[in-house]
Amino acid sequence: MICLESNLPLTEAIFYILLAVRKPNHGYGIIQEVTEITGGRVILGPGTLYGAINSLLSKKWIKLYSEDKTSRKKKEYLITDDGKEVFYKEVKRLEELIHNSKLMEESV
Amino acid sequence: MKIFRLYYDMDEEVNWLHKMSSNGWALKDFFLGLYTFVPCEPGEYIYQIDLLNDGDEKDYLEFLEDSGVEVVARWFRWVYLRKKAKDGPFELYTDIDSKISYYIKVKKFFQTALILEIICLLIELGAALTTKSPIYFSLTILIGIIALALLRMVWKCQWKIEQLNREK
Repeated sequence: MICLESNLPLTEAIFYILLAVRKPNHGYGIIQEVTEITGGRVILGPGTLYGAINSLLSKKWIKLYSEDKTSRKKKEYLITDDGKEVFYKEVKRLEELIHNSKLMEESV
Repeated sequence: MKIFRLYYDMDEEVNWLHKMSSNGWALKDFFLGLYTFVPCEPGEYIYQIDLLNDGDEKDYLEFLEDSGVEVVARWFRWVYLRKKAKDGPFELYTDIDSKISYYIKVKKFFQTALILEIICLLIELGAALTTKSPIYFSLTILIGIIALALLRMVWKCQWKIEQLNREK
């Protein structure tokens, strides 16, 4: 397996896309969920999302979950084990940041 | 309503489409400078213009439609997109990296066009000098003006890319 740490820190967009595909989700669903859980602070543009999804697919952090060509159903994506691993590594990094940020209060 | 206009700067073009939309005119079709508008509620739509990549046009357009974006018109590799304003803000590229790749893509497009124009310019200039015909001279000037417009876009994209890189 390639070194996943070198991909950290994740951009906010990548972090939230990985989170939104913990269960099968399609493009529009990802945009909506990310808007919702960030209270409208992070709104992914469809152009940005398309590029990010393709880059995540080529890194194999997410995979195509379903594509029904006959009914023109929306493509759905799902996180892979590699994707989960990198996501949790990022969470660990963020927890360290939060933990260390408490040092600021001690100085007062 | 049909309006004929020549835009080479897509940012100015989008601004104009927004102005038209807030005056109650929605773009319905575009072909070679001919814009077709139909009445709409003032400010009903937000427009964006995108440049398609070679190879994944179909996939990308399907993705946009799945994301609730309406493809209004397509001309060559350029697409006119819109969303209803009541569905919230509509921007295609929302982070610095994807904005940079957008301007790199647009810059490449104008660079290629510029090279082709310069070749045409040289051919026309050669013809003008050998024939001394005023038609060829006028054509040379016309192509020269187009080449300058393309050059301006290459510079503008480069400037945008540098600005965005500084924001990083």
